[in-house]
Amino acid sequence: MGGVEEVGGRGGRNPVVSLWGHLKAVGTGLKYLIAVPRMTVKYPDEVIELPDGYRGMLIYHQDLCISCGLCATICPANAIKMYLPSGGGGGEGGGEKPETPPKRHPGIDYARCIFCGFCVDICPTGALEHSKVHDAAYERVEDMLYRPEEFAAGPPTVEFERPPKRLRPVMDERRGISYEPVG
Amino acid sequence: MGALGWILGLLLSPWVFVPLIYPGLVSAFAVLLFIIWFERKLAAKVQRRFGPYYVLRHLGGATQLVADLIRYLFAEPIIPEEADALAFVMGPALLFGLTLLPVVAIPVSGTFYAIRSDVSLLIVLALLTLGAAMTLIIGWAGNNKFSLIGGLREGFLSMAYEIPLFVAALSMAAAYGTLDLVDMVEVQAETAWGVALNPLAAFVFLVISFLATSRFPFEISEAESELVMGPFTEYSGIMYGLTMGASYLKYYVLCLLFSIMFLGGWEPVPPQLAAVPFGPGVVVFAKALALMALGVFLRAVYPRYRVDQAIRLAWHYLLPLSVASVFVSMGAAWLGLTGA
Ligand code: SF4
Ligand code: SF4
Repeated sequence: MGGVEEVGGRGGRNPVVSLWGHLKAVGTGLKYLIAVPRMTVKYPDEVIELPDGYRGMLIYHQDLCISCGLCATICPANAIKMYLPSGGGGGEGGGEKPETPPKRHPGIDYARCIFCGFCVDICPTGALEHSKVHDAAYERVEDMLYRPEEFAAGPPTVEFERPPKRLRPVMDERRGISYEPVG
Repeated sequence: MGALGWILGLLLSPWVFVPLIYPGLVSAFAVLLFIIWFERKLAAKVQRRFGPYYVLRHLGGATQLVADLIRYLFAEPIIPEEADALAFVMGPALLFGLTLLPVVAIPVSGTFYAIRSDVSLLIVLALLTLGAAMTLIIGWAGNNKFSLIGGLREGFLSMAYEIPLFVAALSMAAAYGTLDLVDMVEVQAETAWGVALNPLAAFVFLVISFLATSRFPFEISEAESELVMGPFTEYSGIMYGLTMGASYLKYYVLCLLFSIMFLGGWEPVPPQLAAVPFGPGVVVFAKALALMALGVFLRAVYPRYRVDQAIRLAWHYLLPLSVASVFVSMGAAWLGLTGA
């Protein structure tokens, strides 16, 4: 067993040393029980201010989109697919080919999206962008699929029952993360 | 009025009161509901979380366990096709019942008990061992590798912990010169508490009550991260609720026994309680509850031992310590510290 220390092996450790260890562990537990404040944020009554660059649900600017399809190609979760405009107009099959085939546009399935941001990074025209919305809830899984028109309408707005308290996380060397209210 | 009085009289007679109300079923349920909530709160505080919160928010989620219980009651109990159905279904109920059984021999006060016997300590200890056998049967009945491994671990552990447990308890019998729990309290009232007379036995008994009830750091047979839920893996609904409650229940019984053997039982009785026949029981209850709170606090501190480490601890350290505690008791008795 080269180099692997067998913890609590047959020889065991010095019982006095391990007793001290036990006492120290219990002491640490007591310290945390009494003296150390909680870090839980009571969402949805308290909400953390999100930093810039947060990768939330996507905003799609259809006017900038050139239908290159790179976003659908790069998406590792297959969340983005290219859709023909709904309401007919060409498409494959159909006898006569129209002069200019209708353009396809991206739609997104948030049931699949992992918010990796690859689509935003690869989009050559900046048509895709992250919002800070991350807490939309859906009753049916089908509702999570946004076709291009719905995608272009922007991410859903989230409403709170009571106006939440806004908090900003502060890193503290000694206490770890703590939160201070904003505004 | 006559009927009401008769019912009240029946309820307050020791033979009904002890198994049904205190320290039996009703108070056991109250303890379960409280201590599991308390454990979750305590562990959450140490881990800088809130724990149960939204069910009755102003009392810190105090009714969370009631909500859980209702959920268990209405969840569908699933019996696996390949399971040994009879053993599978009977297991949890028997485990729960047998675990609670030892309370019948635990006295509530010097004058209020269901069974007074010269050997009540032996009765309690003997009844305590029945639950472990049920865990083995349950582990087998589920027909699942996790439950089988969990059941076997429980088997190994019960082999390892029962002997030092008995030796430590009996060493106190040697110190007090009696096997009767009522007499034990009286001896302590005249001399000193058991923890002072024989701290070694108290220590061994305490560690073993963690070991015997799957408390951390000895949550070995139901090691969640390895064995899903150990012997109880296949259970759902209220059957799962019963199996989960059983280990807390055993811990409750052991804590009652500990308070009687080592913490002076119902002495000192506050004068307000002395008038009620079962009043002194409140003192034992409070001591046991404080002890349980200590045990559940350790959950937040310790990681789990491996099964071999726990068995080694029991055989290598606890057994010799318990034997040593017999000598401590004999020394105390010889010095006349115990008045025996
Ligand atoms: S964020 Fe990632 S997973 Fe989501 S749509 Fe864009 S590429 Fe796909
Ligand atoms: S959103 Fe961007 S990457 Fe996707 S098709 Fe349009 S232009 Fe191309």
